[in-house]
Amino acid sequence: MSRRPAAAGMPPRVLVLSCPDWQQEDGPAARAFEAVVGVATEFCPQVEVLRPGVCAFAARGPARYFGGEAELATKIAAAVSQRGLACQVGIADGLFAAELAARAEPAGLLVPPGKTPEFLAGLPVGVLDMPDLCELLPRLGIETLGALAALPPGEAAGRFGAEGTLACRLARGLDPRPLVPQRPAADLSVQMEFDPPVEQSEPVIFAAKALADEMHDRLAASGLACVRVQVVVRCADGRELARLWRHDGLLTALAVAERVRWQLDGWRGELPDGEPSAGGVALLRLVPDQLVRATGRQLALWGDCVISDRVARAAIRVQAMLGHAAVTRPVVSGGRRPAEQAVTVPFGDAEVPLRPVDRPWPGHIPAPAPATVYPAPIPATVTDDRGDAVTVSGRAELSGPPAWLRIGGAPVRAIDHWAGPWPVTQRWWDPGQAVRQARFQLVTQDGNAWLAVVQDGSWQLEACYD
Amino acid sequence: MGTGAAQVISLSPVRHRDDVLAGEGLLPVLPAFRELLPAGGLQRGSVLTSGDWGLLCLALVAGASADGAWCAVVGVPSVGVRAAADVGLDPARLLLVPDPGRSWPQVVASLLDGFDVVLLRPPDRPPAQLRHRLEAAARRYGSVLVVAGDWPGASARLTVTDAQWTGIGSGHGRLQARRARVVAGGRGAGERARSAWLWLPGPDGSVSMAGDAAGESGDYPAAPERLRSSG
Repeated sequence: MSRRPAAAGMPPRVLVLSCPDWQQEDGPAARAFEAVVGVATEFCPQVEVLRPGVCAFAARGPARYFGGEAELATKIAAAVSQRGLACQVGIADGLFAAELAARAEPAGLLVPPGKTPEFLAGLPVGVLDMPDLCELLPRLGIETLGALAALPPGEAAGRFGAEGTLACRLARGLDPRPLVPQRPAADLSVQMEFDPPVEQSEPVIFAAKALADEMHDRLAASGLACVRVQVVVRCADGRELARLWRHDGLLTALAVAERVRWQLDGWRGELPDGEPSAGGVALLRLVPDQLVRATGRQLALWGDCVISDRVARAAIRVQAMLGHAAVTRPVVSGGRRPAEQAVTVPFGDAEVPLRPVDRPWPGHIPAPAPATVYPAPIPATVTDDRGDAVTVSGRAELSGPPAWLRIGGAPVRAIDHWAGPWPVTQRWWDPGQAVRQARFQLVTQDGNAWLAVVQDGSWQLEACYD
Repeated sequence: MGTGAAQVISLSPVRHRDDVLAGEGLLPVLPAFRELLPAGGLQRGSVLTSGDWGLLCLALVAGASADGAWCAVVGVPSVGVRAAADVGLDPARLLLVPDPGRSWPQVVASLLDGFDVVLLRPPDRPPAQLRHRLEAAARRYGSVLVVAGDWPGASARLTVTDAQWTGIGSGHGRLQARRARVVAGGRGAGERARSAWLWLPGPDGSVSMAGDAAGESGDYPAAPERLRSSG
């Protein structure tokens, strides 16, 4: 390896390791990603997690140690895939280019030193994470980063402001963003042991406030903030209770202590009466989770919606009783089946729109929408006048008009009106996800209306309209 | 206490628009329900029942939600979110606790302190003592508890007594709208029961008055769109 210094102004070599399967998720996946970060730290101790599924480190040192960048990339990809995880590795000058290189199919790309501007020139401006600019530039005929890089710098600043200047610099391969290596979270965690174990909550909560202060000091000293904080309480009998709380760098020490109180209260509420107490609290530990650079940015707890103190407190209290995932808020989503038209997100987590709403979704059930949508379809039987099961042929022909509906063990209901079959063939190109069914709307004599689906000869109720 | 939550801007209390028949301590309802409820809205601190779980529960609180109230639904794993949105509930101010388990009374009490409206489907028939505790919680926090089920102390009881779907035949058409007779009874024996015919829902999922041409197989007044089997 040559030891020549990096060209003046050129950013250092950066390796980005990306696990594409995880990019869409928040929550548990972010924690599972810790394993991948663990692998990366075997190659370089200073790893920055960009977001769940993507981490980066400076490539120069490790590349020299492992015998070149190509060898480094091969070795790290092999180490990750040994754990059964797919990953892509990209190396380039600067973080921005390296991240794009990691996205290149099929397994990432190694952009040779100094070739980064050429690599970037061919990419569409859409790769910039700047929605306004990405919409504007193509309309001006600037469709690639190459075209953007060719603009005179003064011109870009004058026309597009600070964002345009940054975009231009990125397009030229001049990446202003330095890496922020992540210190292992364990280093920043704080804990206190109680000897003898304490039975009352108050001393634990008092200690929690001091611990939270200490944790915040340590985070601030590293210029970091945490997205969540994990509160671990261990009892004298060895039982451990861990719960994650949204933090976003917003919680004061008192607010953290209050969450510890809720957690303890919620946990006591769970103990069945008569069960001997767990012997008091022996250990309290606060672990900052998902470290990010402290930017002073505040994330709204409730999506874009402003949320009042009282509402947030009530919701978090219930989370303390039932667990993080037991309290959700709905997000309207696109889809054909009623169950697909909404996803629920645990309160406090960022929302992840899976399917856009504003698409036509051909074949969706027309309005009005059902008021009751079963989380899992309910098996049912539908028979005709003679008592034979109603079937639908491949050409959407009925064996007979539906006359009777039986749901589970309930008495048979007479069907007054019905409509269908509406055949649905979804994802026929993908054998794993292909669905071939027919839908019906049924109105029973008791006035209830149902959305039923028949697939492979068996009937299920997806929703009830009343 | 300068908690971090203080940095999340506070929402001003629910403000009533002028055109809504709302006095102090009243949450607005959809126009279709104004005649049905004694106060012309949801009285803060009160408990209402709305029959079994269904569109009526959602429609009853939709007016308040559209006006900025926060709403929590406890014990219903099968909320039709699209239907709720169509009827006027704002999903952004909706919280779901589908399975509160054995500690559902504590969950409801916690939510009453914070949310303007709590919709509850109790997993079992709550004993009187528990009911009184939750009624007291609703009064203390000035929130409204709407119960899908039986609740002897409720100040108003709404039920669907009669319903007919239009737009669907035998093998043709599709569900288009439901004409439903909603009866509202009060607490006291002297309270006269009120009733009204509603489109519950109308063809676009909204809820409106349906006139009182009872008995007629009335179609929805708007020109019915061509009923094609859309599939």
